[in-house]
Amino acid sequence: MKRMRKSMNWLAVTVALILFVPAAKAQSQNPLSDPEIASVAVTANQIDVDYGQLALKKSHNADIRKFAETMISDHKNIIQQAAALAQRLHVTPKTNAMTQSLLNGETTTMKTLKAKSGTAFDKAYAQNEAAYHEAVVGAVKTKLIPETQNAELKGLLQSVVPLLEHHTMMAKELASKF
Amino acid sequence: MKKFFQIVAVCFSGCLILAGCNNGSNSSTVENSGPQRDTVIIKLMAFTPDTLTVNKGDTVVWINQDIVAHDVSHFPDRAWHSDTLNPQNVFVKVIDDSSSYFCSIHPTMRATVLLKK
Ligand SMILES: [Cu+2]
Repeated sequence: MKRMRKSMNWLAVTVALILFVPAAKAQSQNPLSDPEIASVAVTANQIDVDYGQLALKKSHNADIRKFAETMISDHKNIIQQAAALAQRLHVTPKTNAMTQSLLNGETTTMKTLKAKSGTAFDKAYAQNEAAYHEAVVGAVKTKLIPETQNAELKGLLQSVVPLLEHHTMMAKELASKF
Repeated sequence: MKKFFQIVAVCFSGCLILAGCNNGSNSSTVENSGPQRDTVIIKLMAFTPDTLTVNKGDTVVWINQDIVAHDVSHFPDRAWHSDTLNPQNVFVKVIDDSSSYFCSIHPTMRATVLLKK
């Protein structure tokens, strides 16, 4: 358990670094515009859909598959709402440094996950889900929400926070089983 | 199918409004005149109120006002449970016993219905 926590911490730090170092850089330069925030939001959700789809392809564990299905369904739902809101507000999502750094993180993580199988995959997937959600919650709270101009977009991001927090708790509980 | 749900939803909101009025007039007349109807809102990943106290035989209506699907399941064994409730769907149950319940889609969401003593 202790070793487990240690490796979880390590993972969280790694993900936080991947996410926040570029984010912090971007923040010090200039805040994100709403179209850029929309792009980050859609990308961050899509990445977790991708991880979930990989889990459904690779895992035979019932708990992992159920969790992955929930992630796919919840995050697709958010993408839909973000896309609908962006369209209504005439905001076209704009790729930016943070989107790119999220995608780079996904490439690295996908490579690691794809190299594993069986219980080793299940454990790595669950740990990554905990760390990824934790990092995204942090970014949404400390960067995306404060920098969003449009009230409705800000409102959508705020309403997503409890969902991400529950996903984090669920992932931690799941990871503790391995 | 979608229409059916809309009709169901409209019926329920009608019932809820009636139930609401009922409660109002009850307080000035007779107390405990028959089974009551209570509402639990599912929103922002929480059941509100998270502890609901009712009389045996009362009806509880759960309304999913959240942005994702949830369900209402007896904790921990799902001895009774709703179907998956998409946003705006409702679940209705007559309460005969105190019980803890949770969302089996998001097991970290928990709440309780208690019978009045
Ligand atoms: Cu739920």
